[in-house]
Amino acid sequence: MLLCDLHIHTTYSDGSVKLRRTVDLFGQAGFDVIAITDHVVNGNNPFGKLANRFKFSVTDDSFEAYMRHIKEEAERAWDRYGMLVIPGVEITKNSFSSDKSAHFLLIDIKEFIPASWDYEKIFLEAKKQDALIVACHPHRTSDKAFVDTLFLWNNRDKYARYIDAWEIANRDDVFNVISLKKYPYIAGSDFHRIRHLYSWKSLLNCKRDVESIKQCIRSNWGVAITLFRN
Amino acid sequence: MLLFWILGVVILFGLIIYGLQIVAVRLALSPARNRKGNSILSQSCPPISVIKPLKGLEDNLFGNLESFCVQDYPEYEVIFSLQDENDPAYKVVRKVREKFPDKAISIVIERCHHGFNPKVNNLFSAYRLSRYSMILISDSNVMVDPYYLRTIAKPMDNPEVGLVCNLIKGVGGKTIGSIFENLHLNSFILGNVCFLDKYLRIPCVVGKSMLMRKSDLEAVGGLASVKDVLAEDHFIGEKIRGQKQKVVISNYLIHNVNEYWNLRKFINRHVRWGKMRWKIGGVKYLLELTINPVFIACLLLLLLGPTEKSLSVLALVCLIKIIGDFFLGKSISTPLHPLLYLLSPIKDFLMGLLWFVPLADDTVVWRGNRYLMGKDTKLSLSPERGAEWKTRIVEGIKAKIAW
Repeated sequence: MLLCDLHIHTTYSDGSVKLRRTVDLFGQAGFDVIAITDHVVNGNNPFGKLANRFKFSVTDDSFEAYMRHIKEEAERAWDRYGMLVIPGVEITKNSFSSDKSAHFLLIDIKEFIPASWDYEKIFLEAKKQDALIVACHPHRTSDKAFVDTLFLWNNRDKYARYIDAWEIANRDDVFNVISLKKYPYIAGSDFHRIRHLYSWKSLLNCKRDVESIKQCIRSNWGVAITLFRN
Repeated sequence: MLLFWILGVVILFGLIIYGLQIVAVRLALSPARNRKGNSILSQSCPPISVIKPLKGLEDNLFGNLESFCVQDYPEYEVIFSLQDENDPAYKVVRKVREKFPDKAISIVIERCHHGFNPKVNNLFSAYRLSRYSMILISDSNVMVDPYYLRTIAKPMDNPEVGLVCNLIKGVGGKTIGSIFENLHLNSFILGNVCFLDKYLRIPCVVGKSMLMRKSDLEAVGGLASVKDVLAEDHFIGEKIRGQKQKVVISNYLIHNVNEYWNLRKFINRHVRWGKMRWKIGGVKYLLELTINPVFIACLLLLLLGPTEKSLSVLALVCLIKIIGDFFLGKSISTPLHPLLYLLSPIKDFLMGLLWFVPLADDTVVWRGNRYLMGKDTKLSLSPERGAEWKTRIVEGIKAKIAW
């Protein structure tokens, strides 16, 4: 089984650990697969404007450098640790209301996709790029400082067909609603700080390459979750 | 006024010892400059079994273990030993073994409850499987250079030498706990180990790296003889010295990687180490406080109030300690930012407070286990919190009768 964390932030957005150190941290801990998924924030509201202003978001301008850096680190991680590093982003549609907020990962993305586009347009573009779409922390979380992101769950009848997997566990939280609806699932740390290394992770029973991993998650065959602790 | 002079003398004593420690470190490291010389290349290189007991994820674990697999040494094996296949370190060692398929690397997983010391328990099965007559026991938080084995094996050319251990350098501090840890390792621990070795001829064995012959270890009772003590490294060294064999501290500085420690972990380790020194050294432990001039200067400030004299003394002592620690750090090429040495007096003050804990508490928590520690660090199971005081009184009486 491959030990995977597919939800990781770095200093390219609001993470506190630089990309190289993040890769080393997971490599030193024996991980097989990680995805770097920094925020791409919608710039059409005050939240997004602030995020873009203070560089807590990957933007159209920084995307190329971001992808190039991930590629360099992916090569180093493979040589040093035998660890696969997949580029991705977390599309971040923030609003003052939980019901209107949504975050979702696009894993193995190739071209920049703005978060200000409407949902369907983003999903279709992600599908075109063959990126894996994962709805993040789709239900109420234990983090009270955080605005819940309920939009996708509340509108699952409309959008579930686009979503390849739902985060059934995020950092310390488990969302049993995902289990009840029998949706495909993965778990991720939503890594922002060192301590988040010890959190929910995914175990995938597949080969250590990007296509096999995407296939495994989409088919939801050979997927398990584990609470990674020291 | 009398108090000022008494404490002033103690501070002066602490500073003199500190100065001597710095000289001792310089003396200990001076031959290291020639470590790659011909003398090493011409040495005999006996085959070595390297035993690495593992439990949990240490900082930089993959890199630490990898460094033992790329040794420039003719014949050696590495045995990684774990108690549980669910240990997260198992995943890491498997990846290390995958990376070096041509090396003699074994992984042994076996639950073992021979004694109370979890590290010694973790060594038994690896020791049994080891092929060579020379064994090197090394902790998982240690990283070394490719010429480490050659350097540590060299003193073993002398048949009078029974054990070789190493000096330690703390590296990699990225959080306050690990910065404190590395400052402490690179000043107090390194300084005292060198001081004891150079001036008092007392080699202080630290279990992070210990090379010995199996025959010598077995002659003193083997691992079983230290299965119930916490300071197994110290007692192995003492027993080997008792056999009229020398214990040598190699001038090679092993890297103890501490990157992401929190303050609690730092406190926990040094309370544990303090308790060990108290149980081994007895009244000699009391002297330790006198070689912490920063804490004594703080005490002076507390007792005399913030007078011009007490504040000047504290400022001067802190300045000397910062410069001294910086100098020590430079001597051992520590990659610590110079400004971080400003934290050195704060760390010393904290260590002064922690010094009192062993005098009042006999329990230790190590790797998730809770023990009562008796004379010579002998371990026994500690009851859960609540009943511990009652049990400790009973155990204390039993111990007094026994001794």
